[in-house]
Amino acid sequence: MLLTTHATRPTVTSELHSRILALGLILAGVFVFLHKAITLDYPIFPDETRTVWNLEILIEFAADNRPVRIESFLPAKSEERELVDEQFYSGPFGLRLDQEGENGNRKAIWTYRYPEGPKVLRYRTTLVEETRDTPLPPEMQRENRGGDVLFETSLERQAFLVWMSNLRRQSADKETLVDLMLQELFSTNLSDEVAALVRPLPPPLDRLELARMVLETQGVPARIANGVILDDARRRAETVSWLEYHLNGKDRRYFTLGNPSVFFPLWYGLDELVDADGVTELSTQLSLQPSRLAGGSGAASGLGNDDPLLSLFSFDKLPLTTQLVYQVLLTIPVGILILVFLRQFVGIQTLGTFMPVLIGIAFRETALLTGLLLFSLLIGLGLALRFYLERLKLLLVPRLAVVLVFIVLCMAVITTLTAESGVRIGLSISLFPMVILTMTIERMSIVWEEYDAAEAMKQGLGSLAVASLTYLAMTNSQVEYMMFNFPELLLVIMGLCLLMGRYMGMRLSELRRFRDLSRPE
Amino acid sequence: MRPFFPSLAELNRKGVMGLNERNLRLVTELNPRHLMRLVNDKSITKNLAIAAGIPTPELVGTIRTSWDMRGLAEMLARPGGVAIKPANGSQGNGILVITDPVAGGYRLANGQRITFSDLRFHVMNIRSGMYSLGGLPDTALLEERVRFAEVFDDISFKGVPDIRIIVLKGVPIVAMLRLPTAVSDGKANLHKGGVGVGLDLTSGVSRLGMQYNGLIDQHPDTGNPLMGLKTPFWEEMLSMAAQAYDVTGLGYLGADIVIDADRGPLLLELNGRPGIAIQVANRFGLRAHIEPVLARDTSGMSVAERIAFGQEVYLSVHAPVSAS
Repeated sequence: MLLTTHATRPTVTSELHSRILALGLILAGVFVFLHKAITLDYPIFPDETRTVWNLEILIEFAADNRPVRIESFLPAKSEERELVDEQFYSGPFGLRLDQEGENGNRKAIWTYRYPEGPKVLRYRTTLVEETRDTPLPPEMQRENRGGDVLFETSLERQAFLVWMSNLRRQSADKETLVDLMLQELFSTNLSDEVAALVRPLPPPLDRLELARMVLETQGVPARIANGVILDDARRRAETVSWLEYHLNGKDRRYFTLGNPSVFFPLWYGLDELVDADGVTELSTQLSLQPSRLAGGSGAASGLGNDDPLLSLFSFDKLPLTTQLVYQVLLTIPVGILILVFLRQFVGIQTLGTFMPVLIGIAFRETALLTGLLLFSLLIGLGLALRFYLERLKLLLVPRLAVVLVFIVLCMAVITTLTAESGVRIGLSISLFPMVILTMTIERMSIVWEEYDAAEAMKQGLGSLAVASLTYLAMTNSQVEYMMFNFPELLLVIMGLCLLMGRYMGMRLSELRRFRDLSRPE
Repeated sequence: MRPFFPSLAELNRKGVMGLNERNLRLVTELNPRHLMRLVNDKSITKNLAIAAGIPTPELVGTIRTSWDMRGLAEMLARPGGVAIKPANGSQGNGILVITDPVAGGYRLANGQRITFSDLRFHVMNIRSGMYSLGGLPDTALLEERVRFAEVFDDISFKGVPDIRIIVLKGVPIVAMLRLPTAVSDGKANLHKGGVGVGLDLTSGVSRLGMQYNGLIDQHPDTGNPLMGLKTPFWEEMLSMAAQAYDVTGLGYLGADIVIDADRGPLLLELNGRPGIAIQVANRFGLRAHIEPVLARDTSGMSVAERIAFGQEVYLSVHAPVSAS
C-alpha cells in the first residue's frame, strides 16, 4: 500500500490475530460468493431483475357545492399479495377505506360536504404482476354439486335447457362442456337460445356473467375479475374483464381478447371501477409504469433452494416489504466502509462519527440534490435559531429540544408549501431524520463558537461530501443487487474494516499537515 | 515555498507519525481504558497529584449539584482570582479565568467583564455536559488563578503560556512550550492558532516554533525571536512529568505544566491522548524518540534514571542548543 510505514511493530499478537481473522472472513465471503456465481451460475449483474408496476388511479371531476361521495375499488391485499408504498392524494376530502367488501374487494371512499370547482383524487401503489400460474384463493378452489339456475322468465329457462342439452350432447365431460360453452358464447354468430340468455350488461360483461352463471350451475366456482393487462408502460390503461374459475383441480382464466401473460386484477364483480355521487364531468384514468426491482431476482431464488447452505442466506422467502427493507439495510455497510476509508486513509473531518452515513440514508428519501438543498436549508435555519437561543441562556437539553421542535416546524411548513405547488418533496421530507439534524446543528454551533465559522463550515461540508459519496454508493443499483443477492459480501466488508482498523500509516490530510517537515534542512 | 504534498521518504526518514499510528501503538497499546478516567477527570488527577506531592493549583471548590451553586459567589470572591473549568473538558474548552470582582460582575483574564448571571449560566452549561466527552453531566472545578511568571512575556500575547512534556513509559521524551497569540484569544491551544515552540529536553532552552503546522521563528504578535529562552525549574518539571506516570500508570502521557510567579511549576492537567503537533514544533518525528524507549524495560528505573534516559535518547536525535 502506498502509505504504509516501515516501523517495527511491537504488537505482533493482536496484529497477527486481526489479520488472520480478517483474512478468514474475506476468504469465507469470497468463497461463498464465487460458489454462487460460478458453480450455481447466479447472475452477477442485475439484468434479470423482477419488474414491479407503479399503478395510479386518477379521478377528476367537477363539483358544484353538493355533497360528494366517490367510491373506487383498490387492489385487494392478502398474504400472497403485497402492495408496496400505497399513497393517497385526497386533498380536503375525507377518506375511508372499506377493507373487506363483498367479493373480497377493497374500496376507497372519498367524501366531502361542499366541494367547489374541479377536483382531483389520486391513488398510487406499486404492485407485483400476476400470471396464469398465480393460484386463486382457497375459497375459489372448492368445487360443489352445482345448483339451480335463477333465470327469471320462462322463456329464458326454456332457452337455457335447450342450450345445455345441446352442449351436453356435443361434449365428453365437464371440461369439454365448459370449453365448448365459452367458445360458443364468444363467437360472432350467437344461436337464438344464447342470444336470449345474454345478460343486459355492457359487453363483454354480458356474456362473462352468463358464463359465470352457467359454471355455477355446473358446480364450478367462478368469478369475473376486472383489472389491467401489464404489457408495457401506459399513460392510459384500459380495464379489461375476464373469467376466473377452478375446474378439475386447476385454476383457469378465460380472457375474451388475446392471451396476456401478465396482468393484475383490481376488483371482482360487475360494478364499475369508480362510482361517483354528486359530481359532473367525471373522468377516471388508470396509468401503469414498469420499474425494476434490483433485489429478489427470480433466477437466483430458483437456483438456491436445493442448497441448504444458501437457503440460509436467501431473502426470497420474506414478504416483499421486508425484502425492500433489507435491500436498503444491506447497502449501509457499504456506506460505512467508505466512511471508514475516508476517515482513516484520507482524514476527512466530519461532524460526528456515523452522522454522514445517516445523512446519506436520509438522502434516499429525497434524492441527492433536493436532499443537499433541504439539509443545508434546515441546518441554516436551525443554526440561526441556535445562535438566537444562545442569548436566552437555556440549559443544554431544553435548548436541544427547542431546536428539534423548530426543525419539525420547518419541515411541516416546507411540506405544506411544496404540496400546494405539487412538488413531491413533501412526502419524502417527513422521513428526514430530525434528530440527526438537531445534533448536527448543536455540534456545528459548538465548533463555530469554540473555533470559528471556517472550521464549522469545513466540518459541515466534509460531512455533506461524505454523505453524498455514501448515498451514491448505497443507491447504486449494482451495489444494491450485489449486497442483496450476495449477502456473504458482508463478511468481506467486515474483514476489510478489520484490516483498516490496523492501518498505521499517514492519512492523506496528515501528509499535507506535515508538509513543512518534509523539507530537508 | 510550501509544497502541497510532502515527500513521503523525508517524512519517514524523520520518523513522523500520524494519528492512526499514535492511536494504535501508543494510546491503545499503553493506556488501558480503565485508567483513562484518572486523567479525563481533572478532580481525580488533582487528588492523585496532591497525594504524590506534585504541586498543582489549589482547589477552591467544586460545583456538582444545584445546592453547590449557592457557594459560587463565595468561591468567586477569593482574592487573586479563580479559574473555572469543566472537570471532564478537553482542549481547554469551557475554561474561564476571573481576575477580580468589578462593579456589576467580574473581570476576565482577557480584560472583558462578565456578569454574575452569565457566570452562573456558564457553570450550568458545564454541569449539563456541554464541554464533556459524550455530553455526560459534569462537575465544574474552581481553582486558584495562576499568576504567571514573567519569563515568557516577550513571546506571549495576553494569556497563559504552558509547557507540555510527553512521557512514554515514565520517560520524558520531548517537550514544547505553548504560547498564546492574538488569534488564539489568550489560549495556548495549538488548534486555535497558539504557537508551539520545541524545547531542548536536556536544558529547557527554547528552539524554533510553529503555528498552524507552519514553521516560524518569531512570535507572530510580539515579533520577538522564539529561540534561546531558558525555561526555569526545568529539572523539577521533568521530574513532575515522570512522576505523573507513576501515579496514573498511563504509558503515553502529556503533562501540562504552568509556572506560577510565587509557587513555581504547577501541574495543570494530564492528557491521555496527547497530540502529534509536537513533531512540527520539534522539527522532527516522534518515532526516533519512541523506538528506543519502547524497546527498553523501564519498570525498575527511578525517576532520575528515566529522565537521564530520555535526555540520552533526545541527544541522539537533536543537537543541544544554548540560551542566548
